[in-house]
Amino acid sequence: MSEETVPLARSPIATDPTVVVAGWEVCARVSTAPLTLSDETPLAKVLVRAPFGGAARDALGVSFGRTARVGLGTAGEVLLVGSAPGEWLALGAPGTAAAIRAALEERLAGTGEFVSVLDLTHGRALVRLHGAAAPVVLAGVCGIDLADHVTPDGTALRTSVAAVVTDLVRDDDGGVRSYLLHCERSSGQYLVDALRDAGSPSGLEVTGFRGLVPSSA
Amino acid sequence: MMLLPCPWCGPRHAGEFRFHGAAGTRPDPATTTPEQWRRYLYVHDNPRGWQTESWYHSAGCRRFLTVERNTLTHEVRSARDTQLDAAPNAAEDAR
Ligand SMILES: [Zn+2]
Repeated sequence: MSEETVPLARSPIATDPTVVVAGWEVCARVSTAPLTLSDETPLAKVLVRAPFGGAARDALGVSFGRTARVGLGTAGEVLLVGSAPGEWLALGAPGTAAAIRAALEERLAGTGEFVSVLDLTHGRALVRLHGAAAPVVLAGVCGIDLADHVTPDGTALRTSVAAVVTDLVRDDDGGVRSYLLHCERSSGQYLVDALRDAGSPSGLEVTGFRGLVPSSA
Repeated sequence: MMLLPCPWCGPRHAGEFRFHGAAGTRPDPATTTPEQWRRYLYVHDNPRGWQTESWYHSAGCRRFLTVERNTLTHEVRSARDTQLDAAPNAAEDAR
């Protein structure tokens, strides 16, 4: 090949029409419906594994089952998710995975614990279900109590969603219910199909890539 | 429907777990006779009543749990993190 080509990343979730954002082919649709589903797979996804309840947890500042927005210097702001005991997931802007990995490794280097930091961006699928009726849709495909007093904003948990092992993260946007759903890349299309089926009676529409909600929102 | 009270995740549908049978100590292969090993693998008590079992929360925290379950009524009277059994406060510390 004589001409230099820029690699284009694709989500496992089929979209039509498409537009390119930060090197990712994403859905070009824009929906104004109150209940939407967006493919957020282009977000950088970095996994941290470390002993739970130790120095790494203190360095990250997020406990199991909770989330926090953390500034990581040049990597920008990330949504840090306590996804399992001894497991954290950092979500950041598209194209920042390497910077997030470096920043997390630097932050955890002083803990003296055995820590691994891994870029999973291209190995996972991520979608956002947004709207006041989001709990109604999820109630059709998962058995978690989504009431405010049980799973308030900032809750992270892993469960079976339409029989797919999924990290379910409540990340409200401007006071409106919003959930991030994170699963293996190969299950992404199926999860989206199941959510669209469950959401059609509630008027669920597909919209384009939204990106991470900044902490000021 | 059977709910298992995961010490990490709270009550969850049993379908989120993988059942690993009665909990017990694995004999040391180096000092075990073939007969003892065969009994360990294939001969189980299968009680009608309380049994201590091993469950893996594959769709949740991905931890092994030691569960006391009544095989007749499916009542569960305790569920603990197997690895933390010796240090029961560690799960609380991790939160
Ligand atoms: Zn669990």
